[in-house]
Amino acid sequence: MSGAKSDPIKLTNFSVRLGSRLLFDIDEFAPVNGSSTVIIGATGSGKSVLLKAISGLLPTDAFSVKGNMELHGFPAYIDGKKAGFNTWKKIRRAGITFVPAETAQAVNPALSIEQNLNVIAPEARELVESRLNTYFSLDFKKYASKYPDEVSGGELQRITLIILLSHKSDVLFLDEPTVNLDRQLRKRFVEFLNAEILGKDGRTILMVSHDLDFVRSLNMDNIIALENSGLKPMGKLPETEGMAKPKDESEGEAGLVLKKVSQGYLQRSLFGERRTMAFTDLNVNFRPGHIYGITGPSGCGKTSMIRLILRLLDHSTGTVMLNGQDLIALKPTERGHDPLPFKPFRKKIAIVQQDSRFSFFPDLKISASLKKIHQVLSPTTEFDFAALKQLMDKIHLGDAILESYPKSLSSGEMKRMDIVRVLASRPEVILLDEPFAHIDFETRTLVMKAISEYLAESNAILIVVTHEDFDLKYFIQTDYDFPSIIAGSA
Amino acid sequence: MTAAILLISPMIAAWLPQLEKTPLFGLSIVYWAGLVKSFRQVSITLLATVAITAIITVVIGYFSILWWFFGKTFRSILDVIESIPSILIALFCYAPVSVMLAKNPESSSAILSLMVFIFAAVITSLPEAVRGITLPLAELYHRKYSVSFRAYGFTKAGILLILLNSKAMRDALKRSCAAILLKTLVLDCSFGFIIQIGMGSYGTPAHMSPGALIAANRDAIFTAIERSGRSPIMFWLPSALLVMISLSLLIVLSNKKEATV
Repeated sequence: MSGAKSDPIKLTNFSVRLGSRLLFDIDEFAPVNGSSTVIIGATGSGKSVLLKAISGLLPTDAFSVKGNMELHGFPAYIDGKKAGFNTWKKIRRAGITFVPAETAQAVNPALSIEQNLNVIAPEARELVESRLNTYFSLDFKKYASKYPDEVSGGELQRITLIILLSHKSDVLFLDEPTVNLDRQLRKRFVEFLNAEILGKDGRTILMVSHDLDFVRSLNMDNIIALENSGLKPMGKLPETEGMAKPKDESEGEAGLVLKKVSQGYLQRSLFGERRTMAFTDLNVNFRPGHIYGITGPSGCGKTSMIRLILRLLDHSTGTVMLNGQDLIALKPTERGHDPLPFKPFRKKIAIVQQDSRFSFFPDLKISASLKKIHQVLSPTTEFDFAALKQLMDKIHLGDAILESYPKSLSSGEMKRMDIVRVLASRPEVILLDEPFAHIDFETRTLVMKAISEYLAESNAILIVVTHEDFDLKYFIQTDYDFPSIIAGSA
Repeated sequence: MTAAILLISPMIAAWLPQLEKTPLFGLSIVYWAGLVKSFRQVSITLLATVAITAIITVVIGYFSILWWFFGKTFRSILDVIESIPSILIALFCYAPVSVMLAKNPESSSAILSLMVFIFAAVITSLPEAVRGITLPLAELYHRKYSVSFRAYGFTKAGILLILLNSKAMRDALKRSCAAILLKTLVLDCSFGFIIQIGMGSYGTPAHMSPGALIAANRDAIFTAIERSGRSPIMFWLPSALLVMISLSLLIVLSNKKEATV
């Protein structure tokens, strides 16, 4: 800890470009020592890039930087050139902590949870234990000897968040800290931030978020918008307004019926692997043309249900009826290929998974990826780029994205492109697994409208796994709480 | 990368025609010819080992992720191999052919000896090399691409081929190759060194190694030239060249590009 009392962060004529695209050009930015600032902005506006640039994590091969930056009084960038290793070592010693959106990235998978704690915040063991217990009802001792892949995603996220936020540092950077938290955990996280972090210990906090509801619930000192490539101070947050919920005009019989469905998985134990149940006795029907939401705490089996419908899991029992066929009977096991009778269902069922970065070929341009995917789904037809571009227009995605590589797109652009891919493939069942987490509310409304139009036109079945109040308020027509539909039947 | 190529240049230079007949640093022509020959032979060992091991590694890595049982079986076999010290494996490999090496003329013995050594080096390099490929490939498939690509209808075999050809995996293979080369170089030199010290010129391997050359001239650094007739350069030159080559491989190994967002 440096004990520096002024300008822990100072940007002067600081700009970042991705190729020829200007992401931001900031004349002057110097948050007051000990203050908390949130930067809001549309998806793809460069918020996360700004935070990564300030914390020294921006990949130098993909982005070009100009201007000057000081951290804790040390010159971190001089005329766009990043300072050397020794300067950044001094900056880190002076105390900065970066909390990434995917917090699990911060832990080393080869070390146990306790070893990770000893590396990241060795001084904060007791604090971590008490905070985890108080705010997330987790007993750290139970997880200490486990490795990151031995705890559930939700548990790992909570543990990592608390470890990172308990590390002593003068400057704290938070990059969309709630994108993967469910509603209950988000509420507890807000309580934790307000009670223990914001305005405490004299820390300077810089956070980026597109989630206006989350930001509204925090006691932040300053709100700044990143728009038109510049920072604009805002007196108060803009009101969030979504679209009017689509009218439910669907009727008739269910299109997708899950009856007495159970899903097991193998878990490592002392004496080899043992079978554990993700959920049992699930009975639920989905009507075409209707928007269903599946909610519930992390790890309750929502994503397993999606993968079960896609027939990408072993150990499934019960029946999943679609078009009069039982998908489990057609494909009882996942052996890396599909039996002939099941193959037509690959085109009928489409998914947007949680992380859309992995929906396209890693080394191909988006357009080439789309063509390859189409060749597998519909080998006899040509890919309709005109229809795709119409959909892209609807959600304000420029054509230039088609000629970009996945690594050069922001997470929000990638997510929207993935949703466009699904709509362009014209499926009968659309499964969206937390589809809007990386998209700001304004753009989200455009995406929701595009999906609703597709539903009205195609009478497809739509199932959305979500944690977001915004989605439930403006989009979802029927909300199923997953733990309760396992117990009863819907 | 330029630094790595510069540092590895002695190995390439060893193949210059007539080099073995033009001694530098005032060294005797016999010693110089031996030095050039040892670096030629170690370059053959390294190239052959890396080529064979890389092919086997890619095949084992691919099928280990494709078929769970295959992966589990090979992991057990490679774990056993890894538990045996590399030098012992090399000695075990030489044992059955030692008599043949002693009976045959020098040129054919050298070829047989090189083949035996390459075989031993391939076996000892495999566990680490296979791990260097299977871990990132499994991560890419199971944690990242399997759900979306299987949902498009690609087969697991097809997805693994796509991923194996991705830049991330090509980089992983490049790092694995550097690790194989480094391990083989260390094995070649340490094996040559130990055999030379233990058995002198009657050692089993019939091919030359810079390590054996260093061992044979180890007393040159402690004894005056007038008394031993040998210059300390005879010890330090091959040592320095080996350090250069090792450094170049370490540069390639640590050349892990920053991930882009």
